[in-house]
Amino acid sequence: MGIGVSALEGAGYVDWAEDELNVQFHAFQDTRDATILSPTIELTKDFTDRTTLRAKFGLDAISAASDSCVRCHRPGARDTRLLAGASVIHKLSDDTKLTVGAEVGHENFYQATTVIAQISKRLNKGNTTVAGGYSFSLNRPQLHPAQRTENQFASDAFASLTHTLTKTTVAQFGYEIAQIDGYQSSPFLRALINGERAVGVSPDSRTRQTLSARLRQALPLDSYLETDYRHYLDTWSIHSNSLQVGLSHYLTRQLLVNVSYRWYQQTGAFFFAPEYFGNPHYFTGDFRLQPFDSSLYGGRVVYTSRGRLLWLPEGAGLTAEYEFYRSTTGFQAAIFTGGVRIPLGNK
Amino acid sequence: MSLLCRTVVLAGVMGLSAQGCATVQPWQRGRLADPCMTFDSDAGRVAYQTHWQEAREGAAGGFGVQSGGCGCK
Amino acid sequence: MRPSFWVAALVTVLLSGTAGARPTPTTAPTLELTTLEGKTVRLADFKGRVLLVDIWASWCGPCKSSFPSLDALYLELHPLGLDLLAVNVDERRRDADEFLSHHPHQMPVVLDPQGRVPEAFGAEAMPSSFLIDRSGNIRFRHAGYSPASLPVYRQEIARLLEEAGAESDGVVVIGP
Repeated sequence: MGIGVSALEGAGYVDWAEDELNVQFHAFQDTRDATILSPTIELTKDFTDRTTLRAKFGLDAISAASDSCVRCHRPGARDTRLLAGASVIHKLSDDTKLTVGAEVGHENFYQATTVIAQISKRLNKGNTTVAGGYSFSLNRPQLHPAQRTENQFASDAFASLTHTLTKTTVAQFGYEIAQIDGYQSSPFLRALINGERAVGVSPDSRTRQTLSARLRQALPLDSYLETDYRHYLDTWSIHSNSLQVGLSHYLTRQLLVNVSYRWYQQTGAFFFAPEYFGNPHYFTGDFRLQPFDSSLYGGRVVYTSRGRLLWLPEGAGLTAEYEFYRSTTGFQAAIFTGGVRIPLGNK
Repeated sequence: MSLLCRTVVLAGVMGLSAQGCATVQPWQRGRLADPCMTFDSDAGRVAYQTHWQEAREGAAGGFGVQSGGCGCK
Repeated sequence: MRPSFWVAALVTVLLSGTAGARPTPTTAPTLELTTLEGKTVRLADFKGRVLLVDIWASWCGPCKSSFPSLDALYLELHPLGLDLLAVNVDERRRDADEFLSHHPHQMPVVLDPQGRVPEAFGAEAMPSSFLIDRSGNIRFRHAGYSPASLPVYRQEIARLLEEAGAESDGVVVIGP
């Protein structure tokens, strides 16, 4: 007599997902006088047993924009950035998933269009996952106040390996490479050359590489440790290291608290200088290209309802998070995030 | 990339490959099933954090394919 | 680093994972388990009966769907001769209790925090279920769960119930 076997949706691989709606609200304010309010909505919906649609819409309402704008616009300048994206996740087999998607962004002087494809495969009864992906972006900055628009082409590829080391430990290693060609200067940030302000000139090619190592460790007493390390280098001579550590703890099964700290360090671009003299080939006023260190402190609370929560269904979740960022350049930022996760029913 | 880095990566790959059979059985994944044990379980929150960090820092990427840029000032 | 290096690394990982697989059993193992009330139940006691062994856990997403569905199946088919054991593999009893407090059930639930049952049956996913005929042979396996599989369960159970009884058609009593 034979043995009939059927293999269906297995669990324990932590990718069994409900249909859900995620609504988040972010408030960002920094010492460059940028105040940004950003609502985002993300919908995840299964259409068949093997196909899921994910759609995203976001908006950045940028008011009193940074010092780069206020030089000309004394009261500050308002801008609205719209972001819309969609992706389809299809299971080619029980262990293989393919994701294809696209995203468009639009704001006053910048348009971005991105297409993304990635594939992942589970091995070893779900203990190992290999994944790879590629994206292509066409970014079009307008050289405000001039009407001229430039093009920038960005290709990005990544690969990752995730492995379950023990019943309580998961590690992930990743590598990413990006090639950006085209206009990469900032028309909003002016460099100081021989005592006068001028729009910067950056190289029109940049290759970025990133190596990452991440760890998740389950601890006793319903606690979890997360550690993420990233090493970055590019052809503009910027080298960067970042290390983020977080600790989560369930006060009850419904209430999770998390604290985190991120240390970041980078060297400067080879052509960065606070001030330029003579006739430099490349020069920039982009503050992101200078050497600095920074720290990011974060705290988060997540509440998941057991029964119905007001008008929300069972299993709805509420999130509140506060982050504070400080760098050695004197730059500081505060970010508040509030969110609600609404399950739309099990598969 | 340095030879040391290349060697470390290769050793890691071979070590993982040498596991052969599963190290953790499907019914032993109780703690692994918690959202805290996933990477980027709250994708929207992580995407926003990545976005503002790239608007204020020189480095970018490392945790998945990239979206388009922005004129973030 | 050249792309060929990364391709070689990826292929190495992809080709691994197949060595060391254990053979899956064809007959139900002899195991002794404990119910929620602390009583002992032996798999061997079900010989002569059609038995569905379902392995589940509180943390298993599809189990939230499979558990009530199989409980309904048990209510419907137990009078016709189907026995069912829902084997919980939570390492902490309180996790199983919390799940059960939200999922009322009639089918018998037994506890297996050490995971002896899935190991003995060669389970490859969560949840997993195994249909055992009257002679103690494992005839059908299900790895994972989808509501679309319920008709398959019914067909398989009906087929086993139709087969000639082996030694007993009596009701199994879960003893002390």
